[in-house]
Amino acid sequence: MSAVAVLSPAEWETLWLSLQVSLAATAAVAGPGVALGWLLARREFPGKLLLDTLVHLPLVLTPVVVGYLLLLTFGRSGPLGPLLEALGIEVAFTTLGAVLAAAVVALPLVVRSVRTAVELVDPGLEDAAAVLGAGPLRRFRTVTLPLAAPGVVAGLTLGFARSLGEFGATITLAGSIAGETRTLPLAIFQGTQVPGGDGAALRLTVVSVLLSAAALPASELVVRRRRRGAGGGQT
Amino acid sequence: MSGLEIRALVRRGGFDLDLDLRLGRGATGVFGPSGAGKSTLLHAIAGLLHAEQLRVAVDGEVLVDAAAGVYPPPHQRRVGLVFQDHRLFPHLSIARNLRYGESAGGGVDLDEVVDLLDLGELLERLPRDCSGGQRQRVAIGRALLAAPRLLLLDEPLSSLDRGLKLQVLPFLRRVQERFGLPTLMVSHDLSDLLALTDELLLVNGGRAAGQGDLPSIAADQGAVELLAGSGLSFSLPGRMARRDGTGLGWVELASRAGEGLGDPGGCEVACGEVTAEIGDEVEVILGPADIVLAVPPMDARLSLTNHLLGTVERITRTAARCLVQVDCGLEASVLAEVTERAVERLELAPGVPVVALFKAQAARARGLGAQRPGPAR
Repeated sequence: MSAVAVLSPAEWETLWLSLQVSLAATAAVAGPGVALGWLLARREFPGKLLLDTLVHLPLVLTPVVVGYLLLLTFGRSGPLGPLLEALGIEVAFTTLGAVLAAAVVALPLVVRSVRTAVELVDPGLEDAAAVLGAGPLRRFRTVTLPLAAPGVVAGLTLGFARSLGEFGATITLAGSIAGETRTLPLAIFQGTQVPGGDGAALRLTVVSVLLSAAALPASELVVRRRRRGAGGGQT
Repeated sequence: MSGLEIRALVRRGGFDLDLDLRLGRGATGVFGPSGAGKSTLLHAIAGLLHAEQLRVAVDGEVLVDAAAGVYPPPHQRRVGLVFQDHRLFPHLSIARNLRYGESAGGGVDLDEVVDLLDLGELLERLPRDCSGGQRQRVAIGRALLAAPRLLLLDEPLSSLDRGLKLQVLPFLRRVQERFGLPTLMVSHDLSDLLALTDELLLVNGGRAAGQGDLPSIAADQGAVELLAGSGLSFSLPGRMARRDGTGLGWVELASRAGEGLGDPGGCEVACGEVTAEIGDEVEVILGPADIVLAVPPMDARLSLTNHLLGTVERITRTAARCLVQVDCGLEASVLAEVTERAVERLELAPGVPVVALFKAQAARARGLGAQRPGPAR
């Protein structure tokens, strides 16, 4: 067991990279995820079904296909390639690509969770806020979002966990470059492919399980603290 | 022009609400069968649902005039709306709920509202820790603090049972007395409207079906037919005098100033159900169907306790029955529902002296004075 308990510097680097990529991906989808969830829950507009389908596509597609589509879109020869190149941004086979891949697969989980949570907020409360003089943004910030907060936190947790486990889209778009794009799952896979890599694979597997398992109670704690804090405070 | 002007046209599915109203400056009770468009009217005025045409003016000040391009979104209308289901924000304390719409420089003071509605004890609580009556009082206070130009009350008492209603009704009266806001109040309970409003507006099928105080509405055949189907009641103001050992409460009815009653029974009536303390201002709520009319002299000995001497003011005939208004020298008329045959047999006509009789069990006395619990802080 002692071999499991101690990580090598390279393994620490992998863990640190994984956390960075997952947190960045989660942070990146938080805004769009909440906005899309609210939009799908509260608004009727032409093309809603199309948007809904697009957002949820990564959930039903195999991640390799998602990664390949991202590569086709954001790669050097893709439609966005020249624009990104002009801006000095490179996506394929970079850490940014790993973040993008993780974000795209995490997004539908966040949107679904937020949408359900917003749908559960009584629109009558938003009406009440409107009559009391609150404009759309204030209604969202002071009524809808706080009441949907548990769903938002749960969605972000799921998204974070999903990012942490992302494999297919990442390896297709960003490859498996040590220190840049080789996140935990890629490193574990790598470990199983080389002779003598079993120990590293096992250690990183334990780390993965612990991280993912910790995310759920952590989000529960956040939700509870929010609820408890809801009563007090100033206007 | 003083008072409240409302022109509203709302189309929703197959239903049209089409009203053109000139109402008094005080409180108007909106009454009518369910589906008549009462709540639709309030929600359209508040901007929560779209109106094809809408013009609202208070004392000549235009709040909404769609035709003139003045059609602000709900949050800019300065119209207060109290919902049937209070709609307090569950995640905010009572204090924060109250202050949610607090308008800067609106001239409504939080402490005053808290005092008026007796909310001092509740400020730190969450809505879920308050009773139904308390929550509705908070909702009223919250609406007031937004300093509205017009107050809309959409069935504010109907989610409350009779006991809880009494935790709210007297406070609503206080609000009226203190703020004197132009008010539209919807209720399916006519006695609530009579206690709280100066004028009634009957709505049926999206159209106005009558307007005025109860006596003038009771003189309108169409209005009476509509009211008869929705539970017509009337109330007589008075003061709670005493309770006797049999559980009856005795109310001294208020007579019109300067006129004697000249009735051997005085103007005290017995009520079977009483929700008031001795000395309280009360109203005795009665249904016209519970009133028996007799023509004096009365030789028979009756088990009935309550008899009021008066003269017939007016008879309104509808298809099914006749509504007789009797002036008993009280602040309000007594309404009796009798058959056409009875009118003929008793030769009832305006000016004919009659005795109005009713059982104590048919009378309900309800306190209107807000009983403030002592300062328990």
